[in-house]
Amino acid sequence: MSTTSLDDYLARLDQLQQQGLQRFAQCQTPEEVEQARVEFLGAKRGLVRQVQQQLKEVPGPEKPQAGKRFNELKRALEAAWEEAKRRVAEASPAQQQAKEKRRRGSGDLPPPFDPTAVPPEAQLRLGRLHPVTQTIRRMKEVMARLGFEVADGPEVEDPWHNFEALNIPEAHPARDPLDNFYLSTACLSDPRRPAPEGPQLLLRSQTSTVQIRVMEKQPPPVRVIALGRVYRPDTADATHFPMFHQMEGLYVARGVTMAQLKTVLRLFAAMFFGPEVHVRFRPSFFPFTEPSVEVDMTWKDGWIEMGGAGMVDPAVLEAVGYDPEQVTGFAFGLGVERVCMRQYGIDDIRLLYRNDVRFLEQF
Amino acid sequence: MIVSWNWLKQYVPLRMSVEELTRRLTMAGLNHEETFEVDGDLAIDLEVTSNRPDCLGHIGVAREVAALWDLELTLPAARPPEEGPPVEELTSVELACPELCPLYTARVIQGVKVGESPAWLRRRLKTAGISSVNNVVDATNYVMLECGQPLHAFDLDRLEGQRIVVRRPHQGETLLAINHRTYELEPWMCAIADARRVVGLGGVMGGAETEVSPQTTNLLIEAARFDPVTIRNTARRLNLHSPSSYRFERGPDPRGVDWASRRCCELILEVAGGTLARGVIAVGEEPPPQPKITLRLSQLPRVLGIEVPQQTVVRILRALGMEPKLQNGTVQVVAPSWRRDLEREIDLVEEVARLHGYDKIPEDASVPLAPVRTSPQEQVIQRVQQVLVAAGFHEALTPSVVDESHWRWWHPWTSEDPLCTQTPVLGRARLLRQTLVPSLLDCYATNEKLGNEQAELFEVARVYLPQPGSLPQEPLLLALVSQRDYASVLGVLQGLVHCVTGQQELTVRPAGQVVLSSRSAQLWLGQELLGYLGQVTPEAAKALDVRRVPVVAELRLEVLLQQARLVPRYTPVPDTPAMRYDVNYVVPSRTTWAQIKQVVQQAAGELLERLQYRETYLNQQLAQQGRKKVLFSLWFRAPGRTLTHDEANRLKAQIDQAAFRELQAQLG
Repeated sequence: MSTTSLDDYLARLDQLQQQGLQRFAQCQTPEEVEQARVEFLGAKRGLVRQVQQQLKEVPGPEKPQAGKRFNELKRALEAAWEEAKRRVAEASPAQQQAKEKRRRGSGDLPPPFDPTAVPPEAQLRLGRLHPVTQTIRRMKEVMARLGFEVADGPEVEDPWHNFEALNIPEAHPARDPLDNFYLSTACLSDPRRPAPEGPQLLLRSQTSTVQIRVMEKQPPPVRVIALGRVYRPDTADATHFPMFHQMEGLYVARGVTMAQLKTVLRLFAAMFFGPEVHVRFRPSFFPFTEPSVEVDMTWKDGWIEMGGAGMVDPAVLEAVGYDPEQVTGFAFGLGVERVCMRQYGIDDIRLLYRNDVRFLEQF
Repeated sequence: MIVSWNWLKQYVPLRMSVEELTRRLTMAGLNHEETFEVDGDLAIDLEVTSNRPDCLGHIGVAREVAALWDLELTLPAARPPEEGPPVEELTSVELACPELCPLYTARVIQGVKVGESPAWLRRRLKTAGISSVNNVVDATNYVMLECGQPLHAFDLDRLEGQRIVVRRPHQGETLLAINHRTYELEPWMCAIADARRVVGLGGVMGGAETEVSPQTTNLLIEAARFDPVTIRNTARRLNLHSPSSYRFERGPDPRGVDWASRRCCELILEVAGGTLARGVIAVGEEPPPQPKITLRLSQLPRVLGIEVPQQTVVRILRALGMEPKLQNGTVQVVAPSWRRDLEREIDLVEEVARLHGYDKIPEDASVPLAPVRTSPQEQVIQRVQQVLVAAGFHEALTPSVVDESHWRWWHPWTSEDPLCTQTPVLGRARLLRQTLVPSLLDCYATNEKLGNEQAELFEVARVYLPQPGSLPQEPLLLALVSQRDYASVLGVLQGLVHCVTGQQELTVRPAGQVVLSSRSAQLWLGQELLGYLGQVTPEAAKALDVRRVPVVAELRLEVLLQQARLVPRYTPVPDTPAMRYDVNYVVPSRTTWAQIKQVVQQAAGELLERLQYRETYLNQQLAQQGRKKVLFSLWFRAPGRTLTHDEANRLKAQIDQAAFRELQAQLG
């Protein structure tokens, strides 16, 4: 009977343990785990069984130490086996099959586990909502808390809703063709052909049109916001784009006051930008409100413009059949892009409409 | 409007700092843009809203200052000595178009010496940003900047017949203006003519042939009122915008015409000498008197939400040049002639609020609560966004207009020609789009060019479908563009439909759209066409500058909305086990999964719980037979009881029989 020195035996155990742990860690399928178990922990011809038999060759006085180390080895490999079983059971069968197929086909070995690597098929690819949409969503959410419901109206409008009912008569400069996108018909066949009878349509220049549409449809009280695209002839540059979005708010009921207007705008700004934000009114002029104001909010150490607002002009209330002796109302409008760009630090409005995915995926 | 600090001081004592002045003016409606120094004076740039033409002159701003600080206003009397002959002996005025020029006045000064203006006058104009021409022209500009009323000085001796005719231009008449450009006039404009020709465009620009020159000795001073709309249209048509047209478009004080004329003559006498003829020729009529306005004091808290003391109201209205009469809780006033924007009760509410100060209005008033509902359409859009973002699509926003090539590319939703803006909106784009797909493909192409590997985009937006005689329909569409294959995008859309409609299944029919390849489909939801899905043909992709051929889809949101089930009803979850079969049929190659599905569902009846396509397999042998192998799984389950093997096997056999019979299937 041959003898083995304690050192040799312990080295053999170390080598076997390392080999076994690695093997179990590399297993990808239940089959592989089973193969590894048979190879290492098999009751008859397993490597562990073999090395147990070699224990006899260790000189007597050193046997207890060798036996202790052997037991450690066995426990470690059994634990590795359990761990491997659990791990492959968790992995998806489809993934396993695919890998197994690839491995068998090429004769490659399963690669070692790398806890830092995420293959492309495992990457979670989420899209993002456009930053303007996110701003609009937030505006709707904040205004909903303040009791304003979303209303909607068409983007192609007639002069009544875009101008007349808003107290902008025929001769008003705001109706100039240079400041509006009027529509012509059948411009493909003949651009000079006169429009058929009916009002001269245009792309709405403001969301205030929705005010009129809502009030024409329902009696007071009315408490809505309208959000959408508006169009004005501006050459596109860093701060202008011929298409942009506006939020319009309208509240008409008995007893609506300018103090409530200021309160609603202050709460909106505070919910949007932070509780310490305040607003102020500066006198201004809009045909459809009186009094009319520009609204500023505190920003850093000063004030910045937020939008325009005012009390709905009695002429507008009359135009939609409301009695200005019975109800009062306020309206306000603000540019969505301006808020969006300020919030996200975007310095060129054109970026919003280029739709470069490297831009979009930042939000 | 640029205001000179030193000039303003002539009318009102400025004891405050310029910062305090501009701050309060801003908070009272004259928005301060900037202040800069000009030769020791301060030029204060104030933004004047279009309803306040009175503030387009220093006196108007001085009135605001006086009202805000409760200061005394000092205005020139403008009473120049009239030492010449009666003006009627020197000239005459004929007014042929009072609708364009309600009032025309002329004064005459004889024997002026045209030359350089004195330093004080040049300094004033320089601060206000107007260059000096000569002492006569400078005097007219000075008075315009003083009171807001534009004036014009003619060389009387160059006026043919030494007279003025205010009339519409004749066909083909032109004017050589003082900028030495010739303008073609139109009959709707208001021309100032002499006996023979047009010598000026009323309120817009004078003519070169009658302008004041160093040789001029006798002057005709025009001060008039013009129709604002005509002025604006003329200035726009000829692209001739001047400080004068700017003021006439907004309407100077209609009762300030004669004062301005006298003031101008007074100044000319001072800086250019000469003798003023006696009297004035005034043709036309005085404006109607300002209406009496009643302000109910109760309207102030009703509109503003704060009380304003009665004395404050009276003080403010008085400071603005009115004589308020208090009576039974009301105040009656007549607005001054320079404030024609004050006509109604609400106008006075605004004046009181403005001068009392909007800072007095609190920002913590109570506002009633109100119910707010999210409309089904909103909810559907939110779900669409949620699903597509989760599926890895970025949302794009693209312009609503396209150019002709994009419109021609595809527009499956209407046969009407597109609506079109009179002027292009962006680049050449002026057609209101009828589909979102070409716009999204543009973004896809942009991303390709930028070297972005993944450009999976979607957009929810309106299209504009013309309806003769009314506003266009503006249905909301959902479009997407993807690099995935047809089946993956169909899978996404099916998931989307499930999320919105509960468990509604999409049905698929051939698409038949030229821009889409054979890998494409019409998608139906029940009886409604939901939209299109397909791979773009290589030619169609190339037409829009797209290299890697994408899959596109466009769906009608209204169909999703009609069939939305936003609040689902619970159905009990069965406890009994299901029995699964993996099936494997060899069928003719053209048989579709939809056909197999239909046969299986019909044959299996109610106990078939689920049917799942797995894959299609083809090899040489099958191909030669014109057949393919389709693999799928099915699950049987009986509610409330356990299905027996016999029963399940019977069902499976029943399905097989139907498949053999109706699909010419064989077991694989």
